[in-house]
Amino acid sequence: MSRTFVDIRGQRLSLTNLEKDLYPFSGFTKAGVLEYYRGIAPYILPHLKDRALTLKRYPEGVDKDFFFEKRCPSHRPEWVKTAAVPQNGGKPITFCLVNDLETLIWVANLASLELHVPLSRAGSPGTPDSMVFDLDPGEGANILHCSRVALLLRDLLSEMGLESYVKTSGQKGLHVFVPLNNKETTFEDTKTFTKAVAGAMQKHYPDLVTAKMAKQERIARVFINWSQNDASKTMICVYSLRAREKPFVSFPLAWKELEYLSSQGDPKRFHVFHTEVVRRVEEKGGLFQEVLVQEQKLPHL
Amino acid sequence: MAAQALWSGTISFSLVAIPVRLVKAIEPGRVSFHLLHSKDYSRLSRKMFCPGEGAMVPPDEIVRGYEILPNKYILMTDEELESVSPERSRTIEITEFIDMKDVDPIYYDHPYYLVPSKGGEKAYQLLVEVMRRTNKAGLAKFVLAEREYLVAIKSRDNTLELITLHYHDEILPDENSASKKGTIGAEEESRMKKSIEQMIEDFDPAKYADKRRKKLVDLLQTKVKENALVAAPVVEEEEGESPADLVAALEESMRKVKANQ
Repeated sequence: MSRTFVDIRGQRLSLTNLEKDLYPFSGFTKAGVLEYYRGIAPYILPHLKDRALTLKRYPEGVDKDFFFEKRCPSHRPEWVKTAAVPQNGGKPITFCLVNDLETLIWVANLASLELHVPLSRAGSPGTPDSMVFDLDPGEGANILHCSRVALLLRDLLSEMGLESYVKTSGQKGLHVFVPLNNKETTFEDTKTFTKAVAGAMQKHYPDLVTAKMAKQERIARVFINWSQNDASKTMICVYSLRAREKPFVSFPLAWKELEYLSSQGDPKRFHVFHTEVVRRVEEKGGLFQEVLVQEQKLPHL
Repeated sequence: MAAQALWSGTISFSLVAIPVRLVKAIEPGRVSFHLLHSKDYSRLSRKMFCPGEGAMVPPDEIVRGYEILPNKYILMTDEELESVSPERSRTIEITEFIDMKDVDPIYYDHPYYLVPSKGGEKAYQLLVEVMRRTNKAGLAKFVLAEREYLVAIKSRDNTLELITLHYHDEILPDENSASKKGTIGAEEESRMKKSIEQMIEDFDPAKYADKRRKKLVDLLQTKVKENALVAAPVVEEEEGESPADLVAALEESMRKVKANQ
């Protein structure tokens, strides 16, 4: 195993197998992955901060076996911050908290290409700071269908007095986030609310939307997965790489951009490649910053 | 598409390290059924029931107990169980090579195949070939699904086969061993030998098949043709109506959204 030592903010890290081709279809090596996360760190770290990280590791690359790891590996350096989070009322699990650059690079060096985090912070696991509509296209539907649903959701939520934000999943879907950032709203509230919205969308757009998990219900429709609003669920973090053939990124879009992409009718144009991420963020700013701070309350609950 | 790997890592001994994947060698031919409610064909689910309380028990109120005396239990937490579980391992370290014929088949537990991972093909073929020629099998300790197994690795055609072995303590004594005494008459012995010799054949496992399974599959195919299918009613994934006030507000907002389009 090849090994390279680096110092990051005074911490010594041993980086391994940097030449390993983690995306063999794209020639994107582990060194490239670490470089990507180093570059995006100022933008992704606020979204990872104090959240119980679930690692999704691809030690042999995206075309080989992967495994999810919730427990923060016991061989972690002593400076990696952790939090014990109770599981479903049961015994707590010790998770990694990616609060700084050195931890982000350490996690990426474990070939955890995808970074998954819950909608709540480790200190208040029952209180989500945002509500999410996970738009998942069924067979025969694609991201263009998702964008129609996302734009309808934006308008519907806006009528309800709620501002929302959208990002690509980095795969085939879109994620619509509604920032809450208040201490009162619980997962029970967000689940009730998103389920009612999904039900109303399905009722009014039965050919486009389903609120049901069943695979056959999803054919040619977009499944609004409201059940992601749960303390035990995680979402792919904004700016995280995805472990697909190509290194696409879960990336925030301005609503105007989504309208434009939707009008263009080409699903491929929704993909955001890792190489363009830092440039686009630096031009447009962190479009998802508001999700972390904007305070909103759910009406009619 | 390659078979799904149950595990991947390396086989190693002395200076050799070969990347491999563990895959299934057996696909049991069992036909399994689901239990349905005869009234509406819903799939039945199992719930934990507490006879003391006369009520269903939620998952977070369930703990493990080892029955040490009748109705006396020792509690065991997940952490305690984990503390005795072996660490996940990425290697199968062969510690000795043995003659496979020295292993009593009663020790055989479950067979798997080990197939080479990318970059390991050459070393793998060499090991298969050498093991075949020398008739040796590797003995190793191996952690799979939180259990540590003693395994034998031998060559089978052009592949490595991994067989998990029972531990010595798991083998029950032979209850019949007490009645071994008594002499065998020469005539009796020769008669039985003759009967056996008349029936000797080469072992051909392909000759045998699970007849019940075949009949069952035929019956299922007939029933599919008769279109005798039943389906459970579609149920909402989670019970509970949405609050009426919220539903009304959504209807009103939806009306406005549609009007603006």
